[in-house]
Amino acid sequence: MFVYEKKLQYPVRISTPNPKLAALIISQYGGPDGELGASLRYLSQRYSMPYPELKGLLTDIGVEELGHLEMIGAIVYQLTRNLKEDDIRKAGFDAYFVDHTTGVYPTAASGWPWNAASMAVKGDLIADLTEDLAAEQKARVTYDNILRMSDDPDVNDVIKFLRQREVVHFQRFGEGLQLAKEKMDQKNLYFINPSFDK
Amino acid sequence: MYIEKIMKNASCCDLPGSASGCSDREGSLPGRCAALAFPYVPMQNKNPKRYDQRQALQQGTLFPGLDLPFHRELRSRFPAANSALSELMALDFAIKELGLYLDTHANDQEVLELYWSYIRMAKEGREKYEAMYGPLKKTTITEGGYRWLDDPWPWEKGGND
Repeated sequence: MFVYEKKLQYPVRISTPNPKLAALIISQYGGPDGELGASLRYLSQRYSMPYPELKGLLTDIGVEELGHLEMIGAIVYQLTRNLKEDDIRKAGFDAYFVDHTTGVYPTAASGWPWNAASMAVKGDLIADLTEDLAAEQKARVTYDNILRMSDDPDVNDVIKFLRQREVVHFQRFGEGLQLAKEKMDQKNLYFINPSFDK
Repeated sequence: MYIEKIMKNASCCDLPGSASGCSDREGSLPGRCAALAFPYVPMQNKNPKRYDQRQALQQGTLFPGLDLPFHRELRSRFPAANSALSELMALDFAIKELGLYLDTHANDQEVLELYWSYIRMAKEGREKYEAMYGPLKKTTITEGGYRWLDDPWPWEKGGND
């Protein structure tokens, strides 16, 4: 069960619309390393986790990622307020606009709609948590790249926050893997799949 | 430029071979032996240093040790707005961050006490905020009728003031 709270995790206050930037930032909404994929990855992987720390970690981080999805949606929404048709043409926002007007749609900046192939649920805790470590790094690099492309301080303030969360999540997933390791076969960590072979 | 700076600061580490006393199935991590073919992230210390909750929200982490910014980040971060909402956000963020920490440090009694004290504070803060600005949850009972639908929503202009 989820309960919605009518506030963001971190404030999004964008003073100047910028459709060109919106067309890049949308990638963290529906791109291969975006927040939608992150939340679905963790909230789906948690079912096959054999240890309570990992069930808790995937639930808690998965829920936080849903909050980040909402923040990215808010950035895109605020960057595309009150646009004139001429702004849209000049800014290179026309391709997105013709498909979605100024609605917020889960797609990569490169134009690919969100795809579950960008995430994995392997049903094996080492494989899944190793994927999660990589996923946090890829999201972190995407935010680095957005910081390279954007000079809007209102946007960058939020992007910095989201980027830092990826670093913290990486740390926690790594710790989760250490805790799991202690409960596994110490002679051969690959002797069984603890998510399946009970 | 950045790479040169990093190289200068790097201290080279001893990588002892079998002389370190690790078994053939192990390799050496700093200070210990560890199973081969398994990724390692060090466990964060118990009761780690913390920012106050307002700074934590601005930095994106409660823990200075995990605060690792990108070189393109602006030097000066925005001063957090001093509003009832930003105070509640800061408290809720500290709770979220401590909650993740506790998932992997369930026995840290000191942090658990802090976690619960923040939760008690946030409960109070949430009630105060809702009395002034309207419901945060759909199930909050409000005076003067159904206020859940009131603008602004969180993504809208004024929704974060």
